[in-house]
Amino acid sequence: MRISRKKRLLIGLVLVISMLAMPSAQSLPGGISGVQESGCNCHGAVPSDSVAGSIEGLPDSYNYSEVYNLTLSFEGGPSQPGNVNQGGFHLWASEGELSILDATTQLYNANEVGHTEAGNDQTSWDVIWTAPATDRNVEFVLHVNSVNGNADGAGGGTSGDMWSKVSVSLGGPIEILEAADPFVVLGVLILVTFSLLVITLAYVFYRKDPDSFDWDNFSPWLADWLTTTDHKKIGTLYFVAGLFFLGVGGIMAMIIRIQLSVPGNDFLTQDQYNQFFTLHGTTMIFLAAMPMINGFANWMIPLQLGAADLALPRINAMSFWLQPFAALLIFTGVFSGHGADTGWTGYAPYSVSEATHSGTTMWAAGQILLVASSTLTGINFLTTMAVMRAPGMGWMQMPLFSWSILVANVMLFLSIPAFGVGLIQVYLDRVIGTAFYDIAAGGDPLLWSHLFWYFGHPEVYVVIVPSFGIISEVIATSSRRSVFGYRSMVYALAGIGVVAFIVYGHHMFTSGMSPTLRFVTMLTTMLVAVPTGIKIFNWLMTMHGGSLVYRTHTLWALGFLVTFTLGGISGMFFPSIAMDTHLHESYFVVAHFHYVLVGGTVFGFFAGIYYWWPKATGKMLSEKLGVLHFLTAFVSYNALFWPMHRLGVWGMTRRHHTYFVTTEEALGSLPMEAAGWNMFITVSGFIFFFSNFILVFNMIVTSIRGQDAPDDPWGGWSFEWMTSSPPPAHTQYKLSDGTWGLPTLEDANEHIANEPGVMGRWFQRLMVSDEESEGASN
Amino acid sequence: MTPIFENLWEHYIFWSVVVSLVVFVWLFHHSFWFTSQDGEKLPNVDDLKLGVFPKHNDDMRLEVAWTVLPFILIVWLTYYSWGPLDAMWTSPDGGVHGNECEDGQSSNNRMDSAGIIESDCYHVIEITGQQWFWSFDCLELETTLCDTGTDSMEVYGSVPVLSLKKGETYLANMTAIDVTHAPWFQHLGTKEDALPGQQTTLWLPISDTMTTESMILCAEYCGDAHSIMAAKLVAHN
Repeated sequence: MRISRKKRLLIGLVLVISMLAMPSAQSLPGGISGVQESGCNCHGAVPSDSVAGSIEGLPDSYNYSEVYNLTLSFEGGPSQPGNVNQGGFHLWASEGELSILDATTQLYNANEVGHTEAGNDQTSWDVIWTAPATDRNVEFVLHVNSVNGNADGAGGGTSGDMWSKVSVSLGGPIEILEAADPFVVLGVLILVTFSLLVITLAYVFYRKDPDSFDWDNFSPWLADWLTTTDHKKIGTLYFVAGLFFLGVGGIMAMIIRIQLSVPGNDFLTQDQYNQFFTLHGTTMIFLAAMPMINGFANWMIPLQLGAADLALPRINAMSFWLQPFAALLIFTGVFSGHGADTGWTGYAPYSVSEATHSGTTMWAAGQILLVASSTLTGINFLTTMAVMRAPGMGWMQMPLFSWSILVANVMLFLSIPAFGVGLIQVYLDRVIGTAFYDIAAGGDPLLWSHLFWYFGHPEVYVVIVPSFGIISEVIATSSRRSVFGYRSMVYALAGIGVVAFIVYGHHMFTSGMSPTLRFVTMLTTMLVAVPTGIKIFNWLMTMHGGSLVYRTHTLWALGFLVTFTLGGISGMFFPSIAMDTHLHESYFVVAHFHYVLVGGTVFGFFAGIYYWWPKATGKMLSEKLGVLHFLTAFVSYNALFWPMHRLGVWGMTRRHHTYFVTTEEALGSLPMEAAGWNMFITVSGFIFFFSNFILVFNMIVTSIRGQDAPDDPWGGWSFEWMTSSPPPAHTQYKLSDGTWGLPTLEDANEHIANEPGVMGRWFQRLMVSDEESEGASN
Repeated sequence: MTPIFENLWEHYIFWSVVVSLVVFVWLFHHSFWFTSQDGEKLPNVDDLKLGVFPKHNDDMRLEVAWTVLPFILIVWLTYYSWGPLDAMWTSPDGGVHGNECEDGQSSNNRMDSAGIIESDCYHVIEITGQQWFWSFDCLELETTLCDTGTDSMEVYGSVPVLSLKKGETYLANMTAIDVTHAPWFQHLGTKEDALPGQQTTLWLPISDTMTTESMILCAEYCGDAHSIMAAKLVAHN
C-alpha cells in the first residue's frame, strides 16, 4: 500500500505533536496531574520570578501523625500604581493529609487543596496538614497566582496575572533517619558487587598482557564487548548479568530474612519490606533466571546444532542490550526509597492505585522492555533451530537441551504478549489516566490476574524447562549412557509446554473466579504430574546399568532430582482445592516455589555451569571447591526452605512484613516454636547465600591458574564437544577426518535421520524449503 | 486446621511418602550401585561416539508404566479431593447448606466423618475489605446469631470482631472498597478474595467443635498495613 506524501506529512505531524504533548502529563499515581505544572488552574499565564510564595509552619522534620497549621502566602507580582496584588493558590503534598480550616479554601482530595471563590482575592490562607504515620519523604508543591488590576475589564481581571511555584521537601523524624536505612545497605552492597566485578574484569585484562595495560589497549577490548554480535560473547554477557542479579536478588532475600528472623521485628518498615519482596521476585525471575537461561542457550544452542552462530546475531545483541536498561528502569525507584511495591505479580487494581509508589510506573516500563527482549530472543532461537541444524540432525536428533530451549521459547513466545498487554494497560492507567483497572469507571479487578497468570504460569515452566534439558545432558553423560527414553523425554517436554497453558487458574483458586473454571484447572493441574513424572523416572532409569562418574555437575544433578521431586510433590497439594483454600498465600506456597525454582532451576543451572564451564572458558574448575560448594549449599538450602512448609500450615502468611507468635492456644495464630524456626531459616539462608561465593571464587581462581580443559572432558556425544575449548569466534568443529569445518550428524539408529515424523513434516511445511530459498537468492 | 484439611492432608502425606520412597530408594541405590572409580576404564554400553546420535535406550513397557501409574494416582487424588468441593461451592440455594434461614430458624449444622459440614439453612452476612481494616455487617440478624464489635489485641491494636454462633452456617457476601483483599479465616481453613466492584461469596460453617477465638488475616497483598489488617472471629454458644 502506498501512502501519499500528504498523508505521511500528516502522520509525522501528529506524531511530533503527540511527542510534544506527552511531557506535559506527569506520571503520578493518579494519572495526569497537569495542575502542578501549569500553576493555578484558573489562569494560564506565564510563570514569573517576581512572585514569591512561601509555606510557613512546616517543621524541619515531621513527627508521625502530628497536625501542622500551615500558612500559605505570597508577595510581589505585576505592579501597577493604585492596585494591590491579590490572587489564589494551589497546594499539593505528596504524603500525609491536607484539610481545610475555613471557607476560603477547598479540598480537592487528601493531597490537593486550593482556594475557593470566597478566598480568591487574598494574599494568605491557612490550611492543616496531618503528617503521615510512617517514615516518608514528603514533597510540597505550592503554586501562587498574583493578580494585579482586579478592577479592570468586565471578566474580573485576568490582566497582569503572574504565577510562581515553590517546592519544599520534608523528612520524617530524625531518629528514624539516623537508623541504618536498608536501602542504603542494599545500594552499598550492589555498588560493592559491581565494583568487584569491574576490578575482576580489569585484573583479567591485566593478566592477559601486563605490559600493555593501558587505555589504548583497553578501549578496543571494551568496544568489542559492547558491540559484539558473537553468540558466545553475548552469552557471556547474559551470564555475567544473570549472576550479578542473582547476587542482588540474594542480598534482598537476606535483608528480608533479617526482618523475619524474630517476630515483631522493625528492621524494615512494611513500606520497605513491600519494595524488597517485589524486587526480589522481579529480579530473580526476570533479571537472574531468564538471562542465565539465555546465557546457556546463546552459548550452547549453535554449538549443539553444529552451526557457526545464531540465525540473527544483531537481533541477539539487541535482545541482550534491552536487559541492562530494563534493569535500570526497574531499580530506578528503589534508590529514592520509592520503588515498586506491588509484589512481582503486580495485582491490579492495587498496582494502579494511588497507594503505590511512583517507582511502580518505572517497574512496569522496565518489564515492557523485557517483554520486547524475550520476544526477540524467542524469534532468534526458534529460527536458528528451524533452519540451522547440521545435516543429518532431524528434530528427533536434537540434543535434549536444545529441545528444552525450543519448548521454553515456544511457551514464552505464545504467552508473553498477554503480559505485555497487561503491563501496557497498567502503565497507561498510571501515566495518562486510562481506566482499564479503574473500578469506579467499570474496570475489571480480575482481568490483570487472568492476563498475568496466562503468562505467569508458562513463565515458571520457561524457567524450569531449560534445567530439565541440562539435567538430561548431565545425567546421561555422567552415567556414560544414552538418555533413557529420548522420545518420551521429548514428548514429555512438549506435554509440559501444552499443559502450561491450561493450568494457570490454580493461581486463582481463591480469587472469585468462576467455580467451573476452578474445577477445570484443578483437573488440568493434576495432569502436570504425568509429564514431570515421566521425566524423573526416565532420569532414574538412565542411571540403570551405567557407571556414574562423580563430578561436581553429577552431584548437582542428583541433588536436583531430590529437591525437584520434593518440590513436585508439594505442588500436588495445591490442586486439591479444599486444602488450597488454607494453604493459598501461605509460607507453604513460598516453600513450594522455592523448592522448584531454586532446587529445580538454580540447581540445574549450577549443574550446567560445572558441566559447560571447561568448554566455554578452556579451564577446568576445581573439583574440591565444587564438592565443597555442593555440600554446603545443598544442606543449607534444605534447612532454609524445608521448615517453611510447616510455617505455612501453621498459618504464616506471605508478604507480611512481620508475624507474631502467641502462647494463647485459643487464637491459633503461630505457636511459640515458629519464632525459633524462623531464626533457623534465617541462619540457613545466610549460609546458603555465602556458600555460593565458593562458586564465584572457584571461577576466578581457576581462570587464573586452572588446568587447561580438553575438548571433550566428560565424554559427551553432541557437537559442542567437537570444537576446541574454548571455541573460536566463528565456530569450527574438528571433523572425523581431522579437518575443521561444520559437522554432519550420524545416527547410530536404524531409522533414517532426514525423514521427519508427522509432527516434523507439519512443522517443515511452515518453513521455506532449502531449494526455494536457494532459488530466490540465485 | 479443620477436619477437612487434616483428612486431605494425611491422605496426601501418605501418597507423598510412597512416591518419595520409590524415587529416593531408587535414586540412592543407583547412585551407589552403578558407579565407576577414577582411573578405571569406563564401560560404554551404548557405544557413545562423539558426533553420532546415540543408540536409543528405551523400553516401551516401562515408559508406559510410568505414564499410566502416576496418571492413576492423580485420578485417585482428584477423586479424593472432589468430595469436599460440593460443600465449598454449593449454590446458595438447595445445596448442602439448604436455603436461607427463616426468622428464628437454626442452621443446626453437623459434621460427617470426612469433616464436611451440612446444614438445614444458612444466614447471610456481609464483609467489606478496605485499606486496611475489615468491616462486618450482620444485616438483620439478631445479636445472638451474629454480633460485631472491636477488641484490643496485644500486637495488632484495636481489631474488629465478628462473633458468630456455634452450630450455625453463614454465607458471607464480600466486596472491597479500594483494592483486592482476602480474609483468611485461619481456623476455618478458608479464604476468598474480596474484589472491588464485584461480589464474591464465602461459606462460614461454624461447627460445635470450632475454637472460641481465631484470627482473620488479610491474605491478598493490599499495601502498607497489609500485615496488620487483622480481625478476630469469635464462636459463641
